[in-house]
This record gives sequence, structure tokens and C-alpha cells, in this order.
Amino acid sequence: MPVLTRGAYAEPGTSLAFKTGDWRTMRPVHKHWAAPCHGACPAGEDAQEWLARFQEGHPREAWETIAHINPLPAVTGRICPHPCETACNRTHYDSPIAIHALERWLGDQAILNNWSFPGAQGVAEPAAVAVVGAGPGGLSCAYQLARRGHKVTLIDALPEPGGLLRSAIPMTRLPRDVLDAEIGRILDLGITFKPHTRLGDEADLARLRQEHRAVFLAPGIGLAKNWSVGGQVPTDHRPALELLKEFIAHGKVPTPASVIIHGGGNTAVDLARVMKRAGVAEVHLVTASGLPGPDTEPGDILNVVPRELHEAIEEGIIFHPHRTIQRLLMRGSKLMGIEMVSLRKLPGASGRKSRVAFEGTETILHADMVIPAIGENVDPTGFEALLGGAPYFRPADEWGRLPGHPDLFVGGDARGDRGTAAGAIGDGRKAAEAIDLFLAGQEPVHQRRPTLPYDHLNMAYYEPAPRREPPVLPVEQRTDSDEIEGPLPDAEARAEANRCLSCGSCLACDNCWTYCPDNAVIKTIEQAQDGSHYVFDYEYCKGCGMCATECPCGYIVMEEDH
Amino acid sequence: MAKTPETAKKAPSKAASKPAKAKTAKAGDAKSGGAKGKSAAPAETPSRKVAAGVGTAPGVDAQALGGELAELRRRQPRFRGLEAGHRACQGCGEALGARLVMEAAGPDVMVANATGCLEVFTTPWPQSAWRVPWIHSLFENAAAVASGMEAALKARGHRTKVMAFGGDGSTFDIGFQALSGMLERTHNVLYVCFDNEAYMNTGIQRSSSTPHAAATTTSPAGSQRMGKRHLKKDLLQIIAAHHVPYAASASVAYAADLRRKVRRAIEIEGPTFLLLHVPCPLGWGHDGAKTIEIARLAVQTGLFPVVELERNELAGVMPIRQPRPVSDYLKLQNRFRHLFGNDHRARQEREHLQALADHNIATYHLLGEEPDPLDTEGADTVRRGGLIA
Ligand SMILES: Cc1cc2nc3c(=O)[nH]c(=O)nc-3n(C[C@H](O)[C@H](O)[C@H](O)COP(=O)(O)OP(=O)(O)OC[C@H]3O[C@@H](n4cnc5c(N)ncnc54)[C@H](O)[C@@H]3O)c2cc1C
Ligand SMILES: Cc1ncc(C[n+]2csc(CCOP(=O)(O)OP(=O)(O)O)c2C)c(N)n1
Ligand code: SF4
Ligand code: SF4
Ligand code: SF4
Ligand code: SF4
Ligand SMILES: [Mg+2]
Repeated sequence: MPVLTRGAYAEPGTSLAFKTGDWRTMRPVHKHWAAPCHGACPAGEDAQEWLARFQEGHPREAWETIAHINPLPAVTGRICPHPCETACNRTHYDSPIAIHALERWLGDQAILNNWSFPGAQGVAEPAAVAVVGAGPGGLSCAYQLARRGHKVTLIDALPEPGGLLRSAIPMTRLPRDVLDAEIGRILDLGITFKPHTRLGDEADLARLRQEHRAVFLAPGIGLAKNWSVGGQVPTDHRPALELLKEFIAHGKVPTPASVIIHGGGNTAVDLARVMKRAGVAEVHLVTASGLPGPDTEPGDILNVVPRELHEAIEEGIIFHPHRTIQRLLMRGSKLMGIEMVSLRKLPGASGRKSRVAFEGTETILHADMVIPAIGENVDPTGFEALLGGAPYFRPADEWGRLPGHPDLFVGGDARGDRGTAAGAIGDGRKAAEAIDLFLAGQEPVHQRRPTLPYDHLNMAYYEPAPRREPPVLPVEQRTDSDEIEGPLPDAEARAEANRCLSCGSCLACDNCWTYCPDNAVIKTIEQAQDGSHYVFDYEYCKGCGMCATECPCGYIVMEEDH
Repeated sequence: MAKTPETAKKAPSKAASKPAKAKTAKAGDAKSGGAKGKSAAPAETPSRKVAAGVGTAPGVDAQALGGELAELRRRQPRFRGLEAGHRACQGCGEALGARLVMEAAGPDVMVANATGCLEVFTTPWPQSAWRVPWIHSLFENAAAVASGMEAALKARGHRTKVMAFGGDGSTFDIGFQALSGMLERTHNVLYVCFDNEAYMNTGIQRSSSTPHAAATTTSPAGSQRMGKRHLKKDLLQIIAAHHVPYAASASVAYAADLRRKVRRAIEIEGPTFLLLHVPCPLGWGHDGAKTIEIARLAVQTGLFPVVELERNELAGVMPIRQPRPVSDYLKLQNRFRHLFGNDHRARQEREHLQALADHNIATYHLLGEEPDPLDTEGADTVRRGGLIA
């Protein structure tokens, strides 16, 4: 062996003996944020999570992820006003993910392929629980309790389950075979469903409470609000929801030459479209809300599914936004028309918003019929004491617990500030979780993750991609029975799912592993404890922060290192 | 491998550069994990028990994964040609560039490395971060040493690929004639120039690669001059003029593109050359967390064109569909800070740099012709489950 007089050598990789982690003052950590779509979903779905399963090529897992939270995705995918999309971070880049269309696609796949619900952890001691009202709220609660092993009795005054989904929402938006399939799958979990059973009539609250350890009340709102214009009411007037339900049940609706519908919710718009299709030449909709536009604040827009509004305008419904009816023009008891006036919801001295009508903007609108669609209250028959004269169950907490009644829980429209199927589904799930804990003598606890802001994403790693819109029947082909919006074709659905940015959740893109100059990110085949496939090697991490900057989805943040 | 203790002992004095601040989070925020494959808790969920604290401490995770971190490190599904423990600054683009080149090159290579940061921070004697045969040449002769290594291997019938590594000072300036000779003699060597646009190891002196108007310790900004007076030498064209089979530029910001180019160059029997743009947080005066962002902006502004030349013909460019203004790039770096003052020359020099970028865009047709919506042809597009190579 020659002796090296000028020179030296080193063994390969021996620098590992030098722990550069000492240099660090900040350290990278994984942080699982809530995606904005998640925070915005009234049902509590985490679209980010199920879209991830979809992107991985596992649609069934994607559906199961939804089904843990929402047992009616084929329904909500069709009718939900999708606040998730309004909140979607991708809106700031090009356009939001068509979450509702993908939810529907998955829901339809589950029906088509007869997928069964994913299992849930059962309870040690199953208990008897009663659920009043088989609308989406009651169904959701019954589902969550039954899958945990509880003995659920579900009662409804009507002959069939579904609540307003069945009795009021037109088939053109929600085909009944879809509804039947999703409800059937829930009831098949072993729920005892008792139709024709009205609380306060065939059933009695005291008895229910005696026979069950807990009761969930989701009776919806079935009592039309009183309506008059300055004390005037046409003698034969009928509320919109009643007419709509009659149409759904019997296929009949009045057909005057012209009609004015007063109100700006789903009921008003649905009835307007039904009457237009039934042959009413002029259908007017007078609403205090505004149409989407530059001078309308988001909270002031008509409270309907955005595309429904678009389709209604296409079909020729005449909207009179930011208007109210000031006077009825009557000849004897016959209605001749109305006097409208402009108004806005404006803050008053206290800061609270109230309606301010503007003198000098009065206009006359002639019509043969006026139909109020101004909303409903809870029908308290049988549980008057619980409401104490109030129109809704307002004092309930977020788990639906009523003060002073530890075994009573409420949810859905009956709370007064919900108004969507997804909201009712979320209430049903939360109440079921709280009931499950109550039965075990425990309290529900919050686990909230902060929402990932758009500026925490590194958009350099995403490419522009157009949003895929589902096909819609042209106006002239629309009927009273055929569904108007079609499904996304399979390939389009996959492409659309791939647009999701995975806000706040590792997408295993390898960026951190690729870009760490210090080999301090270790990739693992097995899943690390936080669910990702990467761990930081703090013995070498110098805390440069590059991994955090280059993580596309905000999953890495730098924190002080002591 | 022979190596002079004198040079080897030198550790970069700049190691303790300013701590990087990225997205700062409150302590404890990392507790809620759950991304892939786990049914994550919804934003609001009650739970029977308080969720088990999911820590990110290395020990905890390693155990959960059934192994020590060292073991997990050994099992990395990529070639670790350049290991951790090296002394590069926080966020060093050159260290990253070298790591990426080694990964793509694989284990059957030998390296001759010129004096410079890369050589110094990877081999503080008696340690080395390299896991392939590696030799420290001198500042000026990496190409000559690599030529000799290649000739010797050839004589012995080995097919191991030889690579020569040098900084921009070593490549554009002092080692240039040795490099030219290596190309002219058609040695089967891949020469990689780690272009951090100055002599960083000796304290940020200007090189012929330093861009116009950048301030260095030998081209300071002041009343006389707005940083470097001269232009960045167009070395790639000079290399290509040797009629070599392959000469390309690449950036650490586009790892997938870089890997492809290394593999392509290694496959070619003959002299090949890669000019790799590697930001230097210390010398350029930027936050170490922004190394990639800055490298990307150099490409997206047109200041650093990413191109491939075969036998002196343009064979490919990384297109920029929507060029960014050069000021987006300049304002992140202290070496260009004087270009944002009130001095009338500041505006003039910014416009000059913009014109140089526009010139590159026009010369290399960087805007691309096809209506491909992807800038960079997807080299930086993430997909769930990994980058597309
Ligand atoms: C025309 C119309 C269109 C709509 N469109 C949409 C839409 O597109 N998207 C959307 O998200 N939401 C829509 N909604 C709202 C949505 O239907 C409701 O928010 C949702 O159905 C509320 O669910 P729930 O379970 O609280 O009550 P409901 O669906 O009202 O169900 C309550 C059930 O309780 C039963 N019940 C009531 N009282 C008793 C009693 N005393 N004893 C026994 N049973 C009783 C009722 O028979 C009913 O079956 C629409 C509503 C209407 C009226
Ligand atoms: C002949 C000779 N002159 C000067 C030096 C001092 N020296 C060592 S490294 C270096 C600069 C290296 O610059 P560059 O090649 O750009 O590499 P960097 O450190 O920037 O990566 C100099 C001047 C030397 N080692 N040998
Ligand atoms: S239920 Fe509604 S809000 Fe929730 S994910 Fe589905 S479409 Fe979005
Ligand atoms: S991009 Fe994906 S994760 Fe982010 S908000 Fe939109 S749907 Fe949710
Ligand atoms: S890139 Fe590497 S060294 Fe820098 S903070 Fe991340 S893990 Fe640490
Ligand atoms: S950079 Fe990619 S792989 Fe790393 S944590 Fe972020 S999403 Fe996951
Ligand atoms: Mg240099």
C-alpha cells in the first residue's frame, strides 16, 4: 500500500456523522388543514378527502368516505346548493371543482353497483332511540344510530319516508327512483319505520320518551306562515308549498293566464317553473332578494341552487328582484294585480339589517292570481310545550340538544335557520353522535381544523384546466318528469376530480422529498402516523423552509424550534 | 480517493446564514394528521376519547413505521449519491442540484470535482457526503482530470461514466481551456456546471457568469456602477460551437426536466454538458426558503433560458406561456436591491435586464408555438402519487 504524502481519502457517506439539525431555528411540520370545501359543507362532508380517493382511482372508497358522513349523496349531489363550491380554493385560480356533479356521479355508481354502506364501530350497549320525521334530517340521524348498533324507530305522519324530498321537490330535479334507492338502503340497516304515525296524534311524546332512551325530532316546517298585504288577502289564495305538493302528488296545478309568486326560495322558483310548463303564459316572481350580479352582495342573492335560477330564467320566468308587494289591486274579491315597490335590506341605526322600501318606485303588475311563498313554521301539534310559542326550535345547541331535556335532540328545518337537505343531514349526524355519547354518559367534543387559505397553496405546481359541466336538457325538451341535469360522463368525472388541489392534505407529490437539499425528508412505503408517506429527519434538517414553500397544498408549515 | 487535507478542512464559513421563515405556524398545530388512506376527522366531530397526539417527532414516527430513521434512510427508493450531513447553507441550490444530478446518474459513475462550494461543503475531511468514487481536482482542471479518468477507465475496459463538476467560476473562467480541450478531444464525460453566478466559496466575487447589474463584492453597486457592468457570458453557445452531441441548460426548479437531461447526457457516448442554474441564498441575498421560487422565476422571466442543443442545433426549449416581468425575479434578491432605488439608473438597468430577457425569449422562441396550455410542458405539474418524470 503506497503511503500518501500529500492527500487523504474519506469513506463514502461519512458526513452522516455530522448532525446539521443543530443549525435549525425553525422546523417543518406536517399540518392537516381543513379544506374550505369541507368547512362549507352543511352536511360535514370533506370533499377534499373523497376527491383524493377518486384521484387515486378508487371511486368506491370515495363514495364510502362520503357515506360515513352523508347517506344520501345521489340526492345532495342533485339538489344541494353546494356552498362547498362557492368556498372552493380553485375559484381564485380558474373555477371551482364541480363537487356536486362528482358527488352525484359517485352516488349513482353506488346505486348502480349496489354498494353497501361502510361499517362503523358498534356500541357496547345498544339502546332504543326514536326519530320523529323521516325527512333527510331524521333519515341521517337514524342511519348514524343504526350503523352504530342502536335500535332505531323512525316515525312519520306520511305514508312514505323522504320528507320534502319526496313531497315537494320536483322529479325534474330529483327522480324518485334515486330517492327510493338511497332511502331503501338506509332502512335496510334494520330501522323500524312506522308510516302514518303523527306525533301528537298516533304517537305521543311522553310515551316515546318512556319507551326510548333518547328522541330526535326532525319534523321540518309544515305550517305555512300567515300572509297578507296590509291586511288584504284574496279569498281563494293558497300557499305555494301546498300547491307544489298537490302537483307532486296528483300532477295538477292551477293554470291562470298570469300569476305572481311572492317569495324567493326554492318553493317559489320550483312552483314558478311547474306552472310555466303547465301552460301559464306569464309567471312573475316578486322577491326582496337580488339576482346574482355585481351590485348584489353574496348574502342577498336568491336562496336557491344557482343553476336552478339560471334554468328558470332560461324557461322564461320573469323575476322582479329587490321588490315587494305593497298593495293588492282587487275588484271585489277578485284579484286584478299588485302594486310593487323597490326595496333593499339595509342596516339601520342598531346595525341590524331591515327592509327599506323606496317611495316613488311603485309600479303596477296585472295578474290573475297571487301565490305567497314566504316560508313555513314548525307545526307544534303534540309538542307545543317544547316550542313555547316560538316558530322554531331556536335555543338548541349545535348538537341539537334542547336545554332542560337531556334526552331530546332536534335538527333540520325545524331549527329555523337550516333550509337545505345537507343542513338537515348534518344536524342528523351530529345529533346521532351526541346521542351515542349521551347514552354512554359522555359529552361531545369539538375537533376543528383551521381552514387552509388560498395563499398557502403553491399554484406553480398546478395547471389550468376547464371545469367540466354536466349536460343539461335544452329548454324545449324539458318535461314534468324527465331529469333536467344529466350525469357527467365517466371520463369527464375523472378529469374533473383530478382538478382538485388537495387543499391542506398531502397528495404524495414528492415535492418535499425532491427539493430538500439536505436529504432530510424521508419517504416511506408504510404510512407514517400522520397518514402521509414522508417523515422529517430532524437530525439533518437545517430548517431552510424550502419544503414548506414548495409543498403545493400547504401541508408543511414552519414552526419555532426550541 | 486522493484529496488534500488543506482544502478539505475548509468548512464554509457562511453556514449559519439567517434562519429561513416560511409559512409560520403556531406550535402544536401539527397535531392533527391524516391525509391519505385514513378516514380523517371531519371539521367538527365529537370523539369518545381525546385524539391520540399524533406527533411528528422522528422517533415516534420511525417506531410507528417499524424502523429506525437510519434504516428508513437506507431504504429510500432512490440512489443517495450525495448524503446528508454536508455543510451547505440552509436552502442551498447547489447542494440540491448536485443531489438531483447524482440521483439521476445512479451509482455507476465517478466524479472529478473542481474547487468551490460544492467540493468544500461535501468533503470536510475526514468525512465525505459522496457515495460514489469522487476526486477533488484543482479549481482550474476538473475537465482535465475527468479526461484522464475516462482515458484510464477506457484503457482498463470499464464502462463507468465519468462526470466532471465545477462551479461557474471554475467553468466559465479559470477551467474553461481545460473544458474546451476535453470537448475537443471528445472524451466520454458529462460535465455539469453548477451555475450560482459568482465565486461563492471565496466570498461572492463576480465571474463571467454573473448577470449584468448584479452586485458582488468585486462588482459593488454604488455611485460609479450599478453592479456588474458586463454581461453574463453565453457559455452554452460556446460549448455548442464545439459541435458536441449534447449541451443543455436546466434549473433546480424543474427536477423532472433535470433528471431527464442527466439520463440523456449519460447515455450519450461522448462529451456532453449541462449548465444547471442553482440559486445561492448567501450570494444572491435571498431567503433560503425561496430558492426554488427564485430559480423558477429566472426561467419564467426568460432570464435563464432552459434549452437543449445537439451538434449546435436547437433541439428543445422549455416554453414559457406567460412570461413574468423580470422585476418579479429581481426584487426577491439583495444582489439586485440597488435596482429598486430612486436613482434614475435603477430603472434603466431594470429595463436593460427586461430587454435581455425579451431577447432570450425571442432568440429561443420560448413562447412556444402549439396551443399547449401547460407552461414548462408539465415539468412542474404535480399529480397525486408523484411528479410525472
Ligand atoms: C319546494 C322545495 C324545494 C326545495 N329544494 C331544495 C334544494 O334544491 N336543495 C336543498 O338542499 N333543499 C331544498 N329544499 C329544502 C329541503 O327540502 C329541506 O331543507 C329538508 O327537506 C329539511 O329536512 P328535514 O328533515 O328537516 O324536514 P322535512 O324534509 O320537512 O321532513 C320532515 C318530516 O317530518 C314529518 N313530520 C312532521 N311533523 C311530524 C309529526 N308531528 N309526527 C310525525 N312526523 C312528522 C313530515 O311528514 C316529514 O316527512 C326544498 C324545499 C322545498 C319545499
Ligand atoms: C488557482 C486557484 N485560484 C483561486 C482559488 C481560490 N478559489 C477556490 S474556490 C474559488 C471560487 C469558486 O467559484 P465557483 O467555481 O463559481 O464555485 P462556487 O463556490 O461558486 O460554487 C476560488 C477563487 C483556487 N483554489 N485555485
Ligand atoms: S352536500 Fe352539498 S355542500 Fe356538501 S359536498 Fe355535497 S354538494 Fe357540497
Ligand atoms: S380545490 Fe379541492 S380541496 Fe380545495 S377547496 Fe376545492 S374541492 Fe376542496
Ligand atoms: S427542505 Fe429539508 S432542510 Fe429545509 S426545512 Fe425542509 S426538511 Fe428541513
Ligand atoms: S410536498 Fe407533496 S409530498 Fe410533501 S408534504 Fe407536501 S403534498 Fe405531501
Ligand atoms: Mg459559483
